[in-house]
Amino acid sequence: MKVTIKHWRAVAAWRWDMPEDDVCGICRNPYDSTCSKCKFPGDECPLLMGDCNHSFHMHCIFHWIKQEASQERCPMCRQVWKAKGSDARDAES
Amino acid sequence: MSATRRLQKELLKLQEHLPPGISLVQADNFETWLMDIKVLDDNPLYRGDTYRLKFHFSSSYPIEAPEVTFITSPTTPKIPMHPHVYSNGIICLDLLDRQGWSPVHNVESVCMSLQSMLTGNEKNERPPGDADFVKSNRRRPRDISFYFHDEKV
Repeated sequence: MKVTIKHWRAVAAWRWDMPEDDVCGICRNPYDSTCSKCKFPGDECPLLMGDCNHSFHMHCIFHWIKQEASQERCPMCRQVWKAKGSDARDAES
Repeated sequence: MSATRRLQKELLKLQEHLPPGISLVQADNFETWLMDIKVLDDNPLYRGDTYRLKFHFSSSYPIEAPEVTFITSPTTPKIPMHPHVYSNGIICLDLLDRQGWSPVHNVESVCMSLQSMLTGNEKNERPPGDADFVKSNRRRPRDISFYFHDEKV
């Protein structure tokens, strides 16, 4: 039997390269979903990992760090928050 | 808005499962919830009693700490005796203080912390200056900078 393909549609799925089923500790939404304020997940609402290896939606952690009460510390471990790799980038530029 | 979304998630989880000794009394809106807690071990200070907690959430929750106080009701007539709990229900706990709060905490973890704060207590006492504080305080708990008298309790 010979099959002729007339049309085809590509469908792609994506997810952040993170442990499965994990949620952002601040908004409690899945990493693959958005922070509480965004509508669409993905590059517009990315994740940010700290030097301490704790991750949050970028908007969530920025909102927290902006608070004086945060003392700019990670909500999980209270180490001073520094985005992972931010030093390396500074050194390159 | 973000507070509502986060609280909706917490509510669903609480309705599904609650840790022992903790119950959800009222959560008809996303501003004020009532929770009951019981001390599970046989601590004679709290044996057989149930205590009611009132949570008040601002629109910035969980970035901002909830305001949590003990309140009395016909079924929960007592404010637990503890050197960090004033007789008007105001609680002095670092976790609830501006400096000690973290947005990864939630209603359940706060209830469990308060439960364990009571469990570990052996002093049948109010904080120093309780009578004066209760008489004169008009501030909201979040605006009070507690002086932590004793880090060990």
